[in-house]
Amino acid sequence: MDRIIKVHNLNYRYPDGTVGLNDVNFEVDAGETMVIIGANGTGKSTLFMNLMGVLEGTGHVEVKGVTLNRANLKEIRRGMGMVFQNPDDQLFCPTVMDDVSFGPANLGWSSEEVTAASQKALLLVGLEGYGSRTSYHLSFGEKKRAAIATILSMNPNVLLLDEPTSGLDPRSTSKFINILYALKAQGKTLLVVTHDIFLAQEVADRVLVFSEEKRPIAIGGYKEILADTGLLLKHNLVHQHRHHHDTLIHEHEHRHGYLHEH
Amino acid sequence: MITTNHLLENLDPRTKIVSFLAVILCIILTPITRYKDFELYFLLILSLTFFSGTTVGRIFRRACALIPFILAMALFVPFLKEGQVWWLLKVGYWKFPVTYEGAWTFLNIMVKSSLSILLFVLASSTTTFPDFLKGLDMLRMPRLLIMLTSFMYRYIFVLIDEARRLMRARAMRYFGLRYKEQFSVVGYMVGVLFIRTFERAERIYSAMVLRGFSGEIPCVKRFKLSYRDFLFTTGVCILLSGIMSGLIYKIGSIKISDARVWIGL
Repeated sequence: MDRIIKVHNLNYRYPDGTVGLNDVNFEVDAGETMVIIGANGTGKSTLFMNLMGVLEGTGHVEVKGVTLNRANLKEIRRGMGMVFQNPDDQLFCPTVMDDVSFGPANLGWSSEEVTAASQKALLLVGLEGYGSRTSYHLSFGEKKRAAIATILSMNPNVLLLDEPTSGLDPRSTSKFINILYALKAQGKTLLVVTHDIFLAQEVADRVLVFSEEKRPIAIGGYKEILADTGLLLKHNLVHQHRHHHDTLIHEHEHRHGYLHEH
Repeated sequence: MITTNHLLENLDPRTKIVSFLAVILCIILTPITRYKDFELYFLLILSLTFFSGTTVGRIFRRACALIPFILAMALFVPFLKEGQVWWLLKVGYWKFPVTYEGAWTFLNIMVKSSLSILLFVLASSTTTFPDFLKGLDMLRMPRLLIMLTSFMYRYIFVLIDEARRLMRARAMRYFGLRYKEQFSVVGYMVGVLFIRTFERAERIYSAMVLRGFSGEIPCVKRFKLSYRDFLFTTGVCILLSGIMSGLIYKIGSIKISDARVWIGL
């Protein structure tokens, strides 16, 4: 299968000297959904910013055979879209329609093409008819969906989603997962950063675990990774908590969707 | 674009901007002594209100929020303008002469700005802000200005919310002691707000760059002028030239020989 993204020896340091990424290596297949999990501050979002060329680290990043450098930035960004964690950063135009059409209009498409692409994107995320709404007045779940529509309207092959389900209630989360399924069915390559093990379980083809050393510590099919409780515990991805069974109080790690023995 | 049954709300924003500006221009250019004209302008605005979704009362209430600012500016003009004394305001020991020139100027400012405000309120209550910006854009207002304004419109509420959250967080942990130290807390809050805004601006900029922004601001045309827009503009222009030329109201019948002095006001 085609490797669509190749990352080799990627290092990044923030201007204040903090290590952002520490020798990151991984590859992503075309059409694959890779879920990147890791505790807070392990460099997942920094990785995305590096893949998009917003932050410039050292090392080698290749997207669809094109090496990421300043000269290729536009070409790479044309085929790869990133959705920010906070939709208020992503939606900067007065109305939803303005936002969704911002990308395609910048690509120089004609007005008709832009409108068609924007409407298609809004339809895909279930926000048809929201075009003239003000982004500020949307609910958080709607904002999250509008944010992904702003990228979908540009029809990228690769989507980077930073914490797509954070802050969403269960119903909005399941709506979002449906959108991800639709995108998978279209053959898009998805990179999803999350803390949400449940989301990983739902959509991941492979899981990449980031450690607190700011690098991937494990990569593999979601079943094997999620079955490795020791690994997940070590990297702060499952909670260990105390709970009651009538009079018995005991403590064990806890994962949603998995039965456990008492 | 709003789709309702009301003519004013269905008009292209460009039509509204151009024709309302024309009305305001005529109001400003009409000498204050042709007071009958202002009655006609007032009637024109009232009849325009009839074609909007709002009521006359609502327009007036909203205008009343703005008029005090004009009043505050115009209030001292009658006392400051030099000229023939018309009336003497006595406050205890002090005497403040009001001049004819000053009184006319005051009337001039108040009448013209009140009418303009009424029109402005009418325009803003029948046009959404994003549509208004698009109208300005299509009328070739510099894109940079429009983009700045739209950012302001988009983020002012986000900022207000953020400030409100900070204040709330402070209020919940403030128990009334050490009153003076609270000032430094307010200082920190302003600082935090600034840094957050600054960082948000950086994130927004990267979100824009990632969607192909390279300094040129794209525009998608989404409005089309219809026959209604042409009819409306033509109608307004005919009425305005009627008022200005005095055809509608036989202005010639009003003898205001002395008042010609004030035409230059």
